[in-house]
Amino acid sequence: MEEGFLLEQKTLEGDLNSETSHQSSVDFLMNWFRKRSIFVLAYGTGCGAIEMPPTFTSRYDAERLGIRGAATPRQADVIIVSGYCSYKTLRRIIRTYEQMSNPKYVLALGSCTVNGGMYWDSYNTIKKLEDYLPVDMYVNGCMPRPESILEGFIELQKEIGAGKASSWQKYEENHEFYRKNQEAVLGEKVEPSYEADWYLYEGGL
Amino acid sequence: MFKTIKSNFATADVEVKRQDLYKVVIKYDRLSALIDFLYNNYTYKILNAITCTDWIEEGHFALTYLITTEDRSNTFMIQTLVGREDTKVESFSKKFKQAQIMERDLHEMYGIDFIGNDNLKELSLENWVHTPPLRREFDTLEFVNEHLTFREGREDNVDVKAETKRLRALKKAQKEADKKAKEAADASALKENEDGK
Repeated sequence: MEEGFLLEQKTLEGDLNSETSHQSSVDFLMNWFRKRSIFVLAYGTGCGAIEMPPTFTSRYDAERLGIRGAATPRQADVIIVSGYCSYKTLRRIIRTYEQMSNPKYVLALGSCTVNGGMYWDSYNTIKKLEDYLPVDMYVNGCMPRPESILEGFIELQKEIGAGKASSWQKYEENHEFYRKNQEAVLGEKVEPSYEADWYLYEGGL
Repeated sequence: MFKTIKSNFATADVEVKRQDLYKVVIKYDRLSALIDFLYNNYTYKILNAITCTDWIEEGHFALTYLITTEDRSNTFMIQTLVGREDTKVESFSKKFKQAQIMERDLHEMYGIDFIGNDNLKELSLENWVHTPPLRREFDTLEFVNEHLTFREGREDNVDVKAETKRLRALKKAQKEADKKAKEAADASALKENEDGK
């Protein structure tokens, strides 16, 4: 059985999906382009961010799979929620996510995003990320190794190629549900007011 | 120095915790005077930290001020006890600039009011309306059960210790059973051999 580098190489060379028959040729082409150029927002939200530099640099070299970093949310396709997510971070993540342009995907890293992890009884950490943002792929582990992250990405690529990854549509359709949950923990109306007021308020940080 | 401190500020002796660390417990109303005394007469110019311990059983907070000399060779721990409810404490943010953010943190986590500190806004929390979270009457698990939902499947997790014990016992029993079977097989083989002869 092939594993590790060989498996990745095979995935890289081979066709990533077999369930493409239901797509039109334009859709197929668009999805093919999308899955081969995933721009990941350079944004670490928790301790899991420490696994991202090795994933993207020469040791594991995610760019051979078409995965690379993006500097701003407007250019990014994927946001990685890497690790525990406190209320304060959640507000920034939502803000960032809403600034990203469609199609956009969420990759959740680590057991904290799945069920709270070691912060299961923390007063300041959310327990299920999918209540607040639509999650395309969970990568579990504490912390997941770069291999796991790459595997998560490959699975995400497969879903994109098959036209199944459509979380941003889910977010738009069920916007009220997500907003309700977000406001329940953030304690105020979450409306994007794209001004610099949230860190330049009176007294400042 | 220790004698002056004992006679003027404290009721108890100065405790030498380590060669470079002294500790004294004083009444709250002498705190400011003692810090001034150390600041003006010696080189204790650096406020390292202000910490707070919640002694809920005794009904008070213990505020500890760590003051270090300029060359960082000696540290003084000045501990004072204040009440837990509607605590109002004098701020040292005018004297030590770094006290501002320490007091802001204590205000957020314990609800202590520092009079004279001009910015006591939330530091790491946002829109917090409940009991300050580091006070010991605040039950985090209760709060989580009330405000957040757990993913299903956590409730059937097994106790690791009990599970390990059970598995070990199973393994041991299996091993013994194997051993007995092997012995029996050996015995029968021997018997067959002897019979054959």
